[in-house]
Amino acid sequence: MKQWIRWSGLAAFIVIAVLLTVFFAFAAGPLVKWSLESAGSEIAGARVDVGDVSLTFSPFGFTLQQVTVADARKPMQNALEFSSATAAVDIAPLFLGKAIIRDLSVDGLQFGTARQTSGALEKKAKTDSTDSAAEESSLQDKVLSVAELPSADEILARENLQTEAAGAAFQQSYKTNRAAVDAALEGVPDNDALAAYQAELQALTGEKLTSVDDFKERKAKLDALKKRFAADKAAVAAAKQAIADARTDIAARLTDLRSAPAEDMASIRSKYQLNAGGAANVTALLFGDQAGEWARQALYWYEKIQPYLSSSADGDSAALASEERLRDGRFVHFPSADPWPEFLLRNARISATLPGGKLLITAQDITHQQAVLGRPAHILVNGSGLQQVEELTADIVLDHRSSPGNDSLTLTVKDWQVQDMNLGLADTRMTSSLVQVQGLAVVSGGKLNAKADAQFGAAAFASKSKTTLAQELVAALASIDRFDVNASAGGDFRSPDVRFGSDLDRQLSAAFSRRLNQKQAELEARLQKQLQEKLQAYTGDYADELQQLNELDGSLSDKADALQEMASAKLEDYETQQKREAEEKAKAKEDALKQKAKDKLKSLF
Amino acid sequence: MLSMLAKLLKALNSESAPGQIALAFSLALIVALTPMFSLHNALILLLVLILRINLSAFLVAVAAFSLLAWFTDPYAARLGESLLTNPGLQDTWTSLYQSDFWRIAAFNHSLVLGGLVIGLLAFVPLFMLSRVLIRLYRERVLNWVSRLKVTQVLKASKFYNLYKSFAE
Repeated sequence: MKQWIRWSGLAAFIVIAVLLTVFFAFAAGPLVKWSLESAGSEIAGARVDVGDVSLTFSPFGFTLQQVTVADARKPMQNALEFSSATAAVDIAPLFLGKAIIRDLSVDGLQFGTARQTSGALEKKAKTDSTDSAAEESSLQDKVLSVAELPSADEILARENLQTEAAGAAFQQSYKTNRAAVDAALEGVPDNDALAAYQAELQALTGEKLTSVDDFKERKAKLDALKKRFAADKAAVAAAKQAIADARTDIAARLTDLRSAPAEDMASIRSKYQLNAGGAANVTALLFGDQAGEWARQALYWYEKIQPYLSSSADGDSAALASEERLRDGRFVHFPSADPWPEFLLRNARISATLPGGKLLITAQDITHQQAVLGRPAHILVNGSGLQQVEELTADIVLDHRSSPGNDSLTLTVKDWQVQDMNLGLADTRMTSSLVQVQGLAVVSGGKLNAKADAQFGAAAFASKSKTTLAQELVAALASIDRFDVNASAGGDFRSPDVRFGSDLDRQLSAAFSRRLNQKQAELEARLQKQLQEKLQAYTGDYADELQQLNELDGSLSDKADALQEMASAKLEDYETQQKREAEEKAKAKEDALKQKAKDKLKSLF
Repeated sequence: MLSMLAKLLKALNSESAPGQIALAFSLALIVALTPMFSLHNALILLLVLILRINLSAFLVAVAAFSLLAWFTDPYAARLGESLLTNPGLQDTWTSLYQSDFWRIAAFNHSLVLGGLVIGLLAFVPLFMLSRVLIRLYRERVLNWVSRLKVTQVLKASKFYNLYKSFAE
């Protein structure tokens, strides 16, 4: 038997074992540091620096000092930083190269701290280009165009007014017709001419004919005078017609002019109808920036860890088919209360310092092989006694035991005292409010389905901006004390379709409606007044002249009658005059005789 | 590597018991067919060091069988997979899985189990065959080879001098 035993071999084995242990004791720290920095940088997409790593033996594990993880999006800023972390590691799995961290304690975790040097990796990470800013800008412009009221002068200067066109047509019509009337009136005898006609006619027909020749001479003169009467009558008729035409035309233009302001008003109202439709998305504008920032932060970290949440090929028969897997073999796991995935963080307790207070983050069962572990990862963020929040709870469950994975976040915020919150629109700020928030977000198969309800109470708003939009917004918000905001997000979790709805929209719409109706009425009143002034400017100047035209028409009628009367005058011929005179004499004599006989008869009785 | 081969030849030609060399071959097969850093390989190393097993033969055989393993690994992994997923063995594996020792032994790794099973199955036959071949080599081949002209030429080479230095 002795010849089969080699005692020096045992010594050699012990020496080898001791050397390996010593090497491990000295090299473990730097190896862990290097592993954390290289793997961490790959995951974070930015530099990960570990100040120091020391090995502890009771309990077996590591202590990390001053760890910084740069923000890939802002290289001069740390995404997170902590002063120290202690990890207790299970020894047995280490023999298989498996890292099972029993307890992890992180102190002094801070977010968004400044860096002295850039944390960007040499290979620059892709920056997400988003058009959200442009979209928000265009949305804001849309609201501005709806809510911003142009002045009445601006509208009247901008619009082609019917009133002005009708006024110009009226003026042109008056001028044209007035010229025609004036031209026609030039041939009409004036009153002096009519008087002269009267005198001349009296001279011809009123005086006694002395002879036949006298008769003939007067007859010739009267005929000539009648011809002039006929010409003058024609001129008067023409003038009357010109006046009638002018009156008809001008009356039509005047009718158009008088109806033009009403038409202009209707046209302007249809164009500049102010409604509160644009206020429907005001909530998104008000809270979109802030909520978007929170969502971006959450999605940034989720995207970072999401690739590591998928179950590995352990237990995955499809992956087994790969040649590499076939050659290297794989671990087959069996039911156990203590499974060993490649990496497992059983319990973590992290205290984080935020500007508003401290957060306590606890995590259980963090692994990329949940199918092996058989339990989902569970992260609980609890903020108690924060400066502005009475209670904050975020319960995150990452369940990737089966495909597709199912990740959920349940958020509860109680008595959040919002102060001086920038609402991202028109420099508007919510100066104070007490908010309660409940939210649930689920990501399954890359699809996000999230919903959050927030109740805002005792809300007060202010804006330093002097723009119309800001003033109108603050005026509308001033009447709102309580409101609810409902946010929902769906679709691909990398570019979710975010929607906001709330009774703030309804309240804002109502408030905007009231304000806009009031503004509309004010605008319309100003427009109406200015249009009436324009109408008055056109019709006022011509009122007297139109009256003159009417009076002229009456005067011409009188002249026509006079001319007609004068034209009907006749001259008796000389024989008829002699006969009439003889008959008048005989009749006078007969009347005298009859009177005498009557007087005699009276005296007899 | 040359010195290792020289040592192997010296061992084959020496008075070392054929069983010591044959055991080295058999143990080397297990090491070669399974992942190097395994608990059972540490135990094999301990055995190789403690027992008077020819180290040179062991190391050369590990290298030679590792080449063989490059071809056989897929089959070994498949064998391990079929054993680990065999419904009839589930209770056994499950009960072993509850023990840290067995898990450190990586019994539930398909290549470890498959390679170990092949290595263990081949252990005794390889041991026996190696012993027989070593004896045959010493009795017949060694003398015949020594008389060959090629051997005479080789004896004048650097390799032979190296071999001699180990032999002395």
